[in-house]
Amino acid sequence: MKTTTFIEAITEAMAEEMARDERVFLIGEDIGLYGGVFKATKGLIERFGAERVIDSPISEAYIVGGCVGAALVGMRPIPEIQFADFITPAMDQIIQQAAKIRYRSGGAWTCPMTIRVCCGGEVGGGLYHSQLNEQWFFSQPGLIVLFPSTPYDAKGLLKSAVRGDDPVIFFEHKRLYRSLKEDLPDEDFTVPIGKAAIRKIGKDITIVAYGLMCHKALEAINVLEKDGISVELIDMRTLLPWDRETIFESIKKTSKVILIQENSKTGGVMAEIAASISEEMFDYLDAPVTRVCGLDIPMLPFAPPMEHFFLPNAEKITRAAKKVMEY
Amino acid sequence: MDTDQSKNKVSLKEVGLSADVLMGLYTCLLKTRQLDEKLRRLFRQGRFAGTYFSAVGQEATTVGSAYGLRDDDIIGPSHREIGAMVAKGVPLSVIVAQVYARSSSPDKGKSHPCHYGYRPKGIINPSSTVAGQTVVATGCAMAFKIQKKDNIALAYFGEGATARGGWHEALNFAGIHKLPIVYICENNLWAESVPASLEAGIEHFADRSKAYGFQGITIDGNDLVVVHKAASEAIAKARSGGGPTLIECLTYRWYGHSEIDPANYRRSEELEEWKKKDPILGTEKLLTKLGLLATGKREALVEQVNQEIEEAVKTAEATKYAEPEEAYNDVYSDKFPVRRDELGMGGKQ
Repeated sequence: MKTTTFIEAITEAMAEEMARDERVFLIGEDIGLYGGVFKATKGLIERFGAERVIDSPISEAYIVGGCVGAALVGMRPIPEIQFADFITPAMDQIIQQAAKIRYRSGGAWTCPMTIRVCCGGEVGGGLYHSQLNEQWFFSQPGLIVLFPSTPYDAKGLLKSAVRGDDPVIFFEHKRLYRSLKEDLPDEDFTVPIGKAAIRKIGKDITIVAYGLMCHKALEAINVLEKDGISVELIDMRTLLPWDRETIFESIKKTSKVILIQENSKTGGVMAEIAASISEEMFDYLDAPVTRVCGLDIPMLPFAPPMEHFFLPNAEKITRAAKKVMEY
Repeated sequence: MDTDQSKNKVSLKEVGLSADVLMGLYTCLLKTRQLDEKLRRLFRQGRFAGTYFSAVGQEATTVGSAYGLRDDDIIGPSHREIGAMVAKGVPLSVIVAQVYARSSSPDKGKSHPCHYGYRPKGIINPSSTVAGQTVVATGCAMAFKIQKKDNIALAYFGEGATARGGWHEALNFAGIHKLPIVYICENNLWAESVPASLEAGIEHFADRSKAYGFQGITIDGNDLVVVHKAASEAIAKARSGGGPTLIECLTYRWYGHSEIDPANYRRSEELEEWKKKDPILGTEKLLTKLGLLATGKREALVEQVNQEIEEAVKTAEATKYAEPEEAYNDVYSDKFPVRRDELGMGGKQ
């Protein structure tokens, strides 16, 4: 066992996959000599050389589109998008190429690619270094969308993504990079795509979250438990395809559910989860499906009071849970 | 018509290509023209749905550049490269099945007519965002370099697509890393209805290559021999590590952007001028001078090609559409089957 931070888990996953499979290579802005702006690729160019750790020009469309092409002819690329905010120039390549090449070729061409996307708020990143945009990809069949919340899952899911045969958008919340540590096994392990994790077993209310919000939920749970409210926390981990079974089974038990999402509320991932719960789990519910989300304003205003104002936190979650319990 | 044959005689040596290659090129050119005209007629008769993107007039550009490529060389096409498909050896039955969206089409009827792709011949099924496959093909070339293989990639696009950001990003990267790729710009003077003068502030699109640090040339895209020689040279250069080339082929599409576009934005005089530069006529003139197209040979070849086309059409028309449930397949690898929810009521059906 080795105590590992979230970002170290990511570096290790890449290094180990590159060592075991020569088809794996990295490309992105500042990832080579500089080791990445967050140092996720630190030491990798020294170990694997500039042909497999490519410092790219500022060209997100090429970073992603070039990797689609490389994947078609047998490589397993891991492109890095330095900030989720900068993924917009690559959208054509993600939506029209990566997500649909298998479909439009009748399965003849495939695109095994893992796009690492650094994202998220609560780091004082302001309007263009704090964004989340998982909902854009969540609505695109053909893509896998992953969003780990622990170092173990970051490493295990990243490995599953690289070994899989589908294009993956892999969100890394930058607030978690160095704030989390976990003992990880020395031996090789993976985490299955498409399976949620039950972080806490409870009976009164189900909370569903992903990424940083799992940790906000845990803070809230500490408070709620003192008030005698037993919470079951489900960490989605995989957003697309999402694990309805685990969520639905929990709701059968608790009959109450709160969905937490850092991103703006409207059109977000939790809107789909809420709709599915109301379609399929209506008979089991004892209270309205409730969401705690970011505000419906551009993500994320810079000045600290506004940033704080935007984001869901333990206090907001606690209030929502109490309201649902009183219903 | 000049009747003094001896005055017009040209030798193979002067042309610089063998008789076999010339006849191979010409056969592909003829096949492309006949097939394209046939598919236009079939669309107008309502025999298949959607629309049809004719490439009549541009055949020398696509045939001349793709002819002679290896199966494991990659083509990143757009939607007007039927000639490249024929020249790379895609069976006509596959091309027709694609246009007819039948179950036997490589895309099983999921894409759109003229979005040809065929993995056994290294052709990437295209999206409709033009220049999209230019980026992807550049990535294939990047992989070949990492893999230390001598395959090359060929990317096709109209001059209009060179205004896209992704196109610039791809060529910029190819220039930095001297990737094994050849960029074929089919400059047909019109981006759907927008004239070249409103697409760029330069006269020759090949000049764009200067910004990326590699060679760009402008050639007569209706001269089959010129195109084939220029492309072959660029391909050999790319294969041997010499980096990319941008080849701008001056050509013209005779018909609208697609069959539902009457192309009223163009002057008829412009079309007539270009019809005089018909690549088929030009090639036949040369072959006649070379003594390769004896009396009756053209007619025999046309008949043979038409027969092959009729066969392909008959086969496509006799083939069914895929079952609607086929729509669920090939979204993901087998590991992630799509959830079936036709009524939109989740599990409560």
